[in-house]
Amino acid sequence: MSALLAIVALLAGAYFVAVLEGWASTGRFRPAGPVLAGLSLLGRESVVPRRPDRIFFEVAPPLLLASAVLAAAVLPLAPGLIVADLATGALFVNAALAYVMVALLMAGWGPDGAYAMVGGFRFLGQLVAYSMLIVMPVTAVAMRAESLTTTEVVASQAPLPNALYQPVGFAVFLVAAMAVCFLPPFDLPTAPGELAGGVMAEYTGWRLAMMRLARAVLVVTLASSIAVFYLGGWLGPLLPPWAWTAAKTLAVAAAMLFVGRYVPRVREADLLAWCWKIGIPLALFNIFFVGVLLLVV
Amino acid sequence: MLLQTVFLAFFGLAAIWFAVVVFRTSSMVRSALALLFSQAAIGTMFLAMQTEFLGVLQIMMMATEMAIMAIFMVMYMMDPGGLSGMDMTHQKRVSIAAGVLGTAVAVGTALLVDWGPIAGVPRPGAQVHDLGIELMERSMLIFETAGVTILTAMVATTAIAIGPRGPRGGVDD
Amino acid sequence: MSGPSKAPANARADAEAGAEAALSGAREARPSLLRRLVSRAGARDLCAFVVPGPEVARARGLGLRAAGLSVSATPRHANVLVVVGELPVGLREAAVVAYAQMPRPRAVLAAGAADVSPLPGPDVSADAAEESLAAGVARLRRLFAGGAFAPEAEAFEVAALGSRTEYACPMHPEVVREEPGTCPKCGMELVEREAADGGEQGDPEDAHQGHDHQGDGRTHEEDMHHDDHAHHGEGDEHGGANHADHGSMDHGDMGFMSMVKMTRGTPRSSDGLQMEWVEAPFGPLLPGLPGGLSVTFTLDGDTVAEARANSAVGRRQDPRGPVEEFVERFARLDPLSPVSYRLLALHAVEDAVGAGARDEGALARVGALERERAASHLNWLAGFGHLLGYRWLARRAEELQLALLRAEAGGIPPIRAEVRKLARRVERTSLLRRRLAGVGIILADPAGASGPVARAGGRGADSRADEEAYLTLGFEPVVQEGGDALARLRVRLAEAQRSLGLVTRAGGISGAIPVPDAGASGRGAAALETPRGSANLRVKLEDGEVTGADLETPSAAQTRLVGAVTEGREVADALVGVASLDIAPWGVIGEAPREAAG
Repeated sequence: MSALLAIVALLAGAYFVAVLEGWASTGRFRPAGPVLAGLSLLGRESVVPRRPDRIFFEVAPPLLLASAVLAAAVLPLAPGLIVADLATGALFVNAALAYVMVALLMAGWGPDGAYAMVGGFRFLGQLVAYSMLIVMPVTAVAMRAESLTTTEVVASQAPLPNALYQPVGFAVFLVAAMAVCFLPPFDLPTAPGELAGGVMAEYTGWRLAMMRLARAVLVVTLASSIAVFYLGGWLGPLLPPWAWTAAKTLAVAAAMLFVGRYVPRVREADLLAWCWKIGIPLALFNIFFVGVLLLVV
Repeated sequence: MLLQTVFLAFFGLAAIWFAVVVFRTSSMVRSALALLFSQAAIGTMFLAMQTEFLGVLQIMMMATEMAIMAIFMVMYMMDPGGLSGMDMTHQKRVSIAAGVLGTAVAVGTALLVDWGPIAGVPRPGAQVHDLGIELMERSMLIFETAGVTILTAMVATTAIAIGPRGPRGGVDD
Repeated sequence: MSGPSKAPANARADAEAGAEAALSGAREARPSLLRRLVSRAGARDLCAFVVPGPEVARARGLGLRAAGLSVSATPRHANVLVVVGELPVGLREAAVVAYAQMPRPRAVLAAGAADVSPLPGPDVSADAAEESLAAGVARLRRLFAGGAFAPEAEAFEVAALGSRTEYACPMHPEVVREEPGTCPKCGMELVEREAADGGEQGDPEDAHQGHDHQGDGRTHEEDMHHDDHAHHGEGDEHGGANHADHGSMDHGDMGFMSMVKMTRGTPRSSDGLQMEWVEAPFGPLLPGLPGGLSVTFTLDGDTVAEARANSAVGRRQDPRGPVEEFVERFARLDPLSPVSYRLLALHAVEDAVGAGARDEGALARVGALERERAASHLNWLAGFGHLLGYRWLARRAEELQLALLRAEAGGIPPIRAEVRKLARRVERTSLLRRRLAGVGIILADPAGASGPVARAGGRGADSRADEEAYLTLGFEPVVQEGGDALARLRVRLAEAQRSLGLVTRAGGISGAIPVPDAGASGRGAAALETPRGSANLRVKLEDGEVTGADLETPSAAQTRLVGAVTEGREVADALVGVASLDIAPWGVIGEAPREAAG
């Protein structure tokens, strides 16, 4: 029962994120936007390129959706409201998110087209940039919680949320999260101006609907993971726990979506340089800093 | 117990099947990703055997590793799409002999060694805790040196690979 | 979304386009309740792909977003093809390919032209004006809601996009036969593959083919015109490109060919990774580049080894005719800066007639010209922001540009203040500076470009500096050092601000000049600083008819700069460099429109 509720909440979150994304990119707030777009996409014919790698082309959208949903399955909405309370929950989130990259690689290679291919391989470069940065801050978070279980991670933030306890890790994880779900300014795989849609360019009809849904679920998952790892999940006065989780998740998602409007797309070379030369030392420093705090304080 | 055996068998067969696909296909990328899914199947086998940490770690690592391998395959080999029907197997006789020998050794080890009584499996939370204590106490030296060595190797490889700097706008700016 | 439709331009057409009419690109299916629901949803979610490009729509003052259309980056995600103005001959094929790639139900909206052949007849025709466009969009919505599904839908076949099977040698791609056999050079079996039907393509390299639909209307990806190359493995340092099908089918004969052997001797790119060279076309309808400009990169991994640019929309004008016709035809030469070219033609004719500059209208003319310059720079900025992924900039520049085009003389000062705020904000965005600094740098310019490109490199030539009207208004050219994309951005922002200042000081905007009387004869020449550089025109008049004209536009020189700006760069930087040149492909004169095999 709680699993079902969590899934419903996930879909609702994805809907909100889709509305927010529409607002961020077009400037108009259309609450019915995703429904109309989804129905319209389902009504369009689904075009398959002539010589695709058929398996990859077909598997990529469901794999993207599955990895986002799996990652969300270990994140709690409220004490007890979680699909699967794994003992290695914090690690599992990263394991599931790694398949986002596999899915995009398939989506890049499958359609047999230059722009999709460029997008797919660019995302691989992006992965090299963000993969360390999405794992190392989680290490520091787990250090404080003395457990990899997500519910205990939230419980450990009762005195002070991690965003304040380890702000460096928070900043690094936020940037890495935006890179995972390829939101602008990290939208290298789907650059609309440069690559005419990149990895999403060759998908139409219901497959495109599934890709867009998967993307929205991915954004919700990452926002939720930030809320769980850094903002204290369901903790907070007055409101019921699930309301806090929802509020924090949506706030983070809105922040991620709106920041991208005001920044140009990052260059691949710059992204790699900053993540490795600045990001990783910061993440290491964060671990050290948290270690000192835990041992001394 | 029965469910566990069924899962183990299923994922084991899936691992073997994907591994066979690795060599039967002529597309480089398909080969690399089939290997990825084979390893992921092994990871789920670990999960079925209730070693949660190991399973999750396996699944996570293999995704990234195999994707990087896919790039290298595309980079160094021609015809990554496999349209000319290239044969993935080389040195067939030696490989078959090695494969049969390896299987015999593995099966023999599994069946003939006395593994002792089946231990009680601690809860996953306790497993993670014990793993952590192990890392920090008995095996700390091993993992620290391994970790630092790998990091050094990565940095050194990248430094060697970078050529002289071109004008800005080149790829390794 | 769509506002209440203003008085529709064609009330009769409204009545005709009732619920019974189907879209020309309707999907073949029997209408049912569910499908009707889906059609209604589709009608509210119109996504447009603009031919020749969104910058042309903006230059005509059409706000597509305000009319209710969202603009998409690729025809696959669009359901309306919007043709702004007449469809240029050179773009017909590209437009057809783009249309064929749109998934059905799809429609064609012609804004400003009635005939869009060879596309299927426009479902909705509108004038190139804002209210008419809004009304057209409303009609289009009704059409979608009613006619998205039709029991009999025509398939859209394009002869030029058919494909046929041919056989080629994997080792020697130039050996191509119609039947299976063996290669005369090396004796290998010929591999079957598909090729485009439109005649022999330049260099069919491998067995990987372009993209097609299944079933109806087989097409290629529109941005890869007649593309036979598929796997362009590009990307970062780790990306691989592998392309030619040299795979050994028979190990005994061939041995193992590796990339190392194949790439021996080719020049190394700046990242030191030797890859095989691959050709990838970008354009002519790529959303980030000016519409009509088609750039072909030869990629070495993801670095551009060579670049070729050409324009699909430039064509030689036949100059002869009466003076008024000549002037009007000139105004239509470049939809991105019509006022400049019109004024240029008028000045040349005046010079031929010996009329001399008319002082009373001079300031107003300056106002018109400068307003167009500011609008053109803002238009460029909107497109550039879109290419960079800087959505706020793209949106804001578009808003300001449209407001500027619609403003009267009195409405200019507030726009000027807004532009100043925009420029300040752009200057403060350090990530933008980081993105653009050093990109597309031109150190020495043998091609002799003029305009903002030259002024960004420190060469301060500006034809306006000599004109009396400008000197009275206190004009100084804007010059920057650096010669890179950032300098060009700064030059254009500064010029836009100064232009608006000039307009304010000129006090009036009027591009109208009385055309000299018929019966005059003589030779004349004029030069004008268009938003993209200086253009020169020489005319010969005989008895009130123009018998000869010789036009030089800045676009040709800029197009020659594409190589310098892109070679040795990563693809994204190369595209930014090309976009920073602000080429108007309409001005590349002298190319005959390319035929189907182009």
